[in-house]
Amino acid sequence: MTGDFTEIGRALPRKEDRRLVSGRGRYLDDLAFPGALHVSFVRSPHAHARILGIDSAEASEMPGVVGVFTGRDLDQMTTRLRLAPPIEGLQPTEMTTLPIDKVRFHGDPVVCVVATDRYLAEDAAECVTVDYEQLPAVTSIAEALAPDAALVDDSLSSNLVSHQSLNVGDPAARRAEAHRVVEARFALHRHTHVPLETRGCVADWDEGRAHLNMHIGNQVPHPLRSQLAARLGLSESQVTVISPDVGGAFGQKIALYREELTVAALSRHLRRPVRWREDRMENLMAAAHAREYECRTRASVSETGRILGLELEIDEDFGGYCFYPANYMARVIALIMTGPYRIQDYAYEVRVALTNKCGAGPMRAPMAITSWVMEGTIDAIARELELDPVELRRINALGPEDLPYKMPTGEILEDVSPRETLEIAVEAIDVAAFRERQEKALAEGRFLGLGLCTVIESTTYGSEFYKAAGIPGSGHESAWVRIEPSGAVNASVGLMGTGQGYESPLSQAVAEGLGVRSEDVTVHMGNTDIAPYGMGSRGGRGATAGGGTLYLCALKARERVLAIAASMLDLNDAGGLRMRAGQIERMIGDDWQETGLALPDVARRAYLDPLALPEGIAPGLDFSHSYDPPAMTYSNSTHACEVEVDPQTGAISIDRYLVAEDAGTVLNPIVVRGQQQGAIAMGLSGALLEQVVYDGTGQNLSATLADYLVASPNELPEFEILHHHTPNRRTPAGIKGMAEGGVMGAIGVIANAVSDALAPRGVTIERLPLTPQSIRALLRETAPSSTKRTQP
Amino acid sequence: MTAPTHDPLTLSLSVNGETHEIRVPARKLLSDVLREDLALTGTHVGCEHGVCGACTILIDGRPARACLTFAAQMEGHEVTTVEAMGRPDALSVLQQALHEEHGLQCGFCTPGIVVTFEHYLRENPDPTAEEVRDVLSGNLCRCTGYQNIVAAVLKAAARMRGEAA
Ligand code: FES
Ligand code: FES
Repeated sequence: MTGDFTEIGRALPRKEDRRLVSGRGRYLDDLAFPGALHVSFVRSPHAHARILGIDSAEASEMPGVVGVFTGRDLDQMTTRLRLAPPIEGLQPTEMTTLPIDKVRFHGDPVVCVVATDRYLAEDAAECVTVDYEQLPAVTSIAEALAPDAALVDDSLSSNLVSHQSLNVGDPAARRAEAHRVVEARFALHRHTHVPLETRGCVADWDEGRAHLNMHIGNQVPHPLRSQLAARLGLSESQVTVISPDVGGAFGQKIALYREELTVAALSRHLRRPVRWREDRMENLMAAAHAREYECRTRASVSETGRILGLELEIDEDFGGYCFYPANYMARVIALIMTGPYRIQDYAYEVRVALTNKCGAGPMRAPMAITSWVMEGTIDAIARELELDPVELRRINALGPEDLPYKMPTGEILEDVSPRETLEIAVEAIDVAAFRERQEKALAEGRFLGLGLCTVIESTTYGSEFYKAAGIPGSGHESAWVRIEPSGAVNASVGLMGTGQGYESPLSQAVAEGLGVRSEDVTVHMGNTDIAPYGMGSRGGRGATAGGGTLYLCALKARERVLAIAASMLDLNDAGGLRMRAGQIERMIGDDWQETGLALPDVARRAYLDPLALPEGIAPGLDFSHSYDPPAMTYSNSTHACEVEVDPQTGAISIDRYLVAEDAGTVLNPIVVRGQQQGAIAMGLSGALLEQVVYDGTGQNLSATLADYLVASPNELPEFEILHHHTPNRRTPAGIKGMAEGGVMGAIGVIANAVSDALAPRGVTIERLPLTPQSIRALLRETAPSSTKRTQP
Repeated sequence: MTAPTHDPLTLSLSVNGETHEIRVPARKLLSDVLREDLALTGTHVGCEHGVCGACTILIDGRPARACLTFAAQMEGHEVTTVEAMGRPDALSVLQQALHEEHGLQCGFCTPGIVVTFEHYLRENPDPTAEEVRDVLSGNLCRCTGYQNIVAAVLKAAARMRGEAA
């Protein structure tokens, strides 16, 4: 472990486990609200249709039904969502809480039925009739961008909702002078998050206080509260957002969705608690989707394989509605594309299209495709120039001598180690031995493949990054630490965990800063009245922004504690004092010795005997702090995996999987390891099995877990994890953040490994997922003319 | 269409060794009755179509999906839920192993996994990793990647057999 820490880096099992493992967790649907009403949504059966009329007379008369509400009703109770940040090439968008004139995807919520019980609400929802006039559905990027395309959003000039480009250096000149220009294509398919706990909320309007308590599993309680208050016309003092235990989110529980706003508005309207529990079909159809991209690269290379210039095109299918500015995710992919490699001449063009599908949002590693595109491009160069892919990576990768490195997009990499993780992974997997096995296997008609994928993972976004990208918003985080009169330590931060296991690592950050044991710290999260206003959990910012802020706040607290202790010990200052495990120690000679004074003694003095405090020190021990991380922090890793592909069945088996990862200072290695495994699993699951499927008319064909396949333990290998720790010099305690790179690496490495395995059959993977059917289709398309392996 | 009537019926439901007289509609799912009428919220609902395994309970000692069962079918049967298997301050051997091996993250899938393997390990005290993976394939976990869950089950099995692990 890095640094000279006593609490940071301890492998502490998680504090939340005892309640969760025994079934005593409290998730949203476990909370009881006497007299609560339940809603059910009537959803569009069409991808694109005009709403001609809604007949809810029969439903309104049914037993238990309290009311039936339409888009027009909700428009009276809420304001519209307008997204219009001043970003060049981005069309401003606006949406009503529920659709009024037309629906834009299969599953769009049209009517909200409120009843005394969920079963009755669903009965009544079935009896609402909506009269539609079907419109032509736009179901692909190509269709969306065709000149005569139907408009998904009637208020826009085209379906091209966002368009950005950049040209740095002179990529065209590099192309002209290149030894070879290598082109490659990559298509990532539509995914969805599938948290095991679906969405839901309980809105509880307190008429007496004119106050809304919104219980909702959410990653960003404060920004959610701001949005909720604004759209209900309330002040932020009138809304409390409370997040109980959350059964996974992965980016799906960030935005304020229309269903949730509807429930909140109706609680106020009906002056009753109102609750909604999304069912799995709704979650798969209408919660949020992600990741549908088509990318093309053009690399100009020298004879030795040095990349002289890179040109990138990204097209994204954003679905029917913008819950986020449409440039949000694709732009980051373009910004960090060159990642681990020395490239200065770079151009990109990013186009985001609206289609008649569920709206897209960030999903764990919103930039997931990045590493596959870059590393797939490297492999394409290796194939075309008949160079060793490992050697090719070596000559292009950033080494210590290149750092800090300013990417062509202006992003700065420092304290990263892509060449080192590459070497660690290459050595551990033993490429030479694998190539021998591969040759032998091929002679027997078996297809083995080795994939490599180096990842530069953008983790914590600071305010500087947002400012540079023209996005309003902040990357700061806030914390408080309070030592109670008994010496008990409470702390809080604006994050909200959704399964990551924050309670132990964040306690460790506080304990390290203060000088107590992690076991004696309690971190309170997920209630906007208790936690300070912070930007919440997204990306990999939990450790750097959350842990970092808590650590700095705890340092502040320690300073005060030691100042009071010094006066209690009749010392002039706290110079020779420290606190360890809550005991005040004093340096005598070369030795730290106990003083007999402990944190409870100091706390008692601070609260109960303030007149005895040194001059200038106020009573109590209550601290707060905010911190804005550097523009961006980066972690890095190299993934390596061996696969075997069965050409008869198209089945892929993963024989070995390892990752060498540099995540800097680690707060809690158990939790980090869990995040690494979970991220890789999510990446592989997505690359091998998962797929949101729409037919040509925009019908969603994958709305059950029997159709949308998530990996079971039978499809996933054991993950070997090799650590390398380079602390970030610009963050508190050297923390960098992590938890999304695993997804990026897994997608890239599995695609590259399968391409390697099928190279003798002339097959290159340009499109995911790698289902048996898709592999068989590729093999059928390419005649088995050659069985020669071109790679060394 | 006229609304069907859903008059409640009275049934006596034996859960975790305790008998409850309750009045619920005949169509109410066992998962909902356990959670809403008996306040046993450890049985989670992740899909309501029998795929995810989060709602796994024991009926007469055998694992079953509470979301595919009507409470009315349980007359004369014994239901066991995760609440009977250990408490936060007195975890079962399996629960303790899941804690030590970091076999859970959000914990939403965990009760179903605990119920599945409390039963499985009683019948198969010495499973291989392969066998554990096979059985675990009936429970979706979106967070962990399963590796640590397998390790925890193997550790619990060894401890239950009296081996040091
Ligand atoms: S909720 Fe019963 S199997 Fe998913
Ligand atoms: S721990 Fe989250 S689904 Fe298993």
